[in-house]
Amino acid sequence: MSDNVAIEVRELTKRYGELVAVNGISFTVNRGEIFAFLGPNGAGKTTTVEILECLRKPTSSKAYVLGFDIGKEQREIKKRTGVLPQDFYTYERLTVKETIQYYAGMFDAHPDVDELIRLVDLEDKKDVLFRNLSGGLKQRLGIAVALVNDPELIFLDEPSSGLDPKARHGVWHLIDGLHKKGKTVFLTTHYMEEAEILADRVGIIHYGRIVALDSPESLISEHGTRNLLILKKTNPKAVPNIEKLGIKAKYDGTTGDVTVHLNHAVAVSEILHALSSTDVPFGELQLKRSSLEDVFLNLTGVSLGEEESGI
Amino acid sequence: MSHVVIDLKASLKSFWRDKSTIFWTLAFPTVLILLFGAIFSQSSMRYDLHVQNQDLTDGKPTYWSENFITILNSTNAFNIQMVDASINATDYALANRLSSLLIIPSGFNTSANTALYTHGATTANITFVYDQSTSSAPVVQSIVVSIVDKLNFELSKGVEYLSVQDLAIAPKRFGFIDFFIPGVIGMTAMTTSIFTSVSISARFKQNGIFHKLATTPLKRYEWILSRTIYNVLISYLGMAVMILMGMAIFGMKMTLDAVSLLMVAMASLMFTGVGMIIARFVKDPDGADAAANVITFPMMFLSGTFFQISQMPQFLQTIAQVLPLTYVSEGLRAAMIFGQTQQAIMNTALITVLGIASIVVGSLITKWEED
Repeated sequence: MSDNVAIEVRELTKRYGELVAVNGISFTVNRGEIFAFLGPNGAGKTTTVEILECLRKPTSSKAYVLGFDIGKEQREIKKRTGVLPQDFYTYERLTVKETIQYYAGMFDAHPDVDELIRLVDLEDKKDVLFRNLSGGLKQRLGIAVALVNDPELIFLDEPSSGLDPKARHGVWHLIDGLHKKGKTVFLTTHYMEEAEILADRVGIIHYGRIVALDSPESLISEHGTRNLLILKKTNPKAVPNIEKLGIKAKYDGTTGDVTVHLNHAVAVSEILHALSSTDVPFGELQLKRSSLEDVFLNLTGVSLGEEESGI
Repeated sequence: MSHVVIDLKASLKSFWRDKSTIFWTLAFPTVLILLFGAIFSQSSMRYDLHVQNQDLTDGKPTYWSENFITILNSTNAFNIQMVDASINATDYALANRLSSLLIIPSGFNTSANTALYTHGATTANITFVYDQSTSSAPVVQSIVVSIVDKLNFELSKGVEYLSVQDLAIAPKRFGFIDFFIPGVIGMTAMTTSIFTSVSISARFKQNGIFHKLATTPLKRYEWILSRTIYNVLISYLGMAVMILMGMAIFGMKMTLDAVSLLMVAMASLMFTGVGMIIARFVKDPDGADAAANVITFPMMFLSGTFFQISQMPQFLQTIAQVLPLTYVSEGLRAAMIFGQTQQAIMNTALITVLGIASIVVGSLITKWEED
């Protein structure tokens, strides 16, 4: 295992009786990168991350975290990693500051507690009891707690799950800050936007298998649909005019919209020019970028949202 | 060891900040003691006693009958209510649901004089009518009999035969409260330890605190040690409150020695283990509480907390013999009240062995991590 590798997993499998939760996956996470596991609930993300945190035992695998064997050197791994579990929870009647001190004590660490509180922007709340914090503030405290031992590698399991958009952006900002400090972050999420914005590399996991692994940009260009141009409330006459330019267009009778599949050969301005010369009316224009959502849909045949509620 | 201290401090701080837990931890034994203490403390108790004096001359009580009633009154044991001499006393008692009624029959004065002159060749009788289904009747009867015995004794010696200054009815013995408080201390150690252990184990598991703790270098045995010490301290707190209350309000007589302190600690250890075992088999906190109730409730009643085991039916006595709380209560009573150090030590030794066994089993089967 090279010095540049933070996590190395070979053929990791976890079975629960008949159910195969994780099915022979292999991957590496490089030091200093944000690596995201993207998939719906029940895909095997949490099982994988908990095996790497030494909380569950794999059915079979060779896996190393920071160069230590997960089967034999769990104490070494625990000392050097920080963990934000899904829905972080702790003693309800300890304050923010006391909670950080408590976990620092468990690691025999002596962090600058005030600095950690400042880092997660909880200075105003440092004497507030855990039970009185909102969901977003609890997660932020959870991140501070994950940092008490100044870990080289941080596991964040669904860090923004259940948070409102504002709180979610606050958490993303924090994770980005960790990245800038040179920490390695292993993130699991079922929000494609989270993976796309934060991660250097994304592993898409579905039914216990990694179906694709690359940077978000590469995944989108390889597996995403083309970017789309949507002409709202127009008429079918637009379609032949656009197709003259050598690109595909489709009219939807129920919405009255025309969807144009863009490619690099034709600029949007050419399409608009073609339409303006024919008097085809349209209400408004919408440009839709291809995203990891499309990648997931193309690779698995289902959308992330559909799977999320089903499992 | 520092992890234990850190966790213990966090637990105690949480306890201190949770006023409702403090209240309920102390309120239950307090209410029990006040309630049972008030009901059973006989020192301040007076019983209703209806008296029908049929021994009248020209409508006035005879010398002996009047004096006997005065003596009954002077014991301060009764609220005496006179019943008209002309009515049928038994019917009256039934109609008015009286638990006891004393009849001084006509001719009592003459019989008493005869008995005195003949030195007991004949006796003067009074009749005690009572409802055997009531709990107070036997008590009232025993007090009346004691008074008569005492009178007889005084009269036969020929000294002060009508005046009764000091009437010791019962032999000098310990009151109910002395019997009761060690039992409630044992019971509180049980409920505190089992419920805290069950609810913490189930709650920590459900809301993921175990999960988080498992990612730190804190070892499981350190956490269990901290929780056990916590339960012991809370049981000591309950014990202190109960002893102080028993002494201040009911004049409880007891000694607090190392054996009784050790017994409470070992009982907490044992029941902490029992709680962990329950929590292992019941997943959600509500179910865990219900299971804890199923275990603690019968023990509370069958282990001699409220009643002496010897008063229970034989088959229940057999059950009591296998319940650990029985040995806790009896050990505490032996140490704190009766001064039977040897029995106290033996019971404490037994509970120590059971305590270590239960905490070891509890620790082995409690899991922080999933499979």
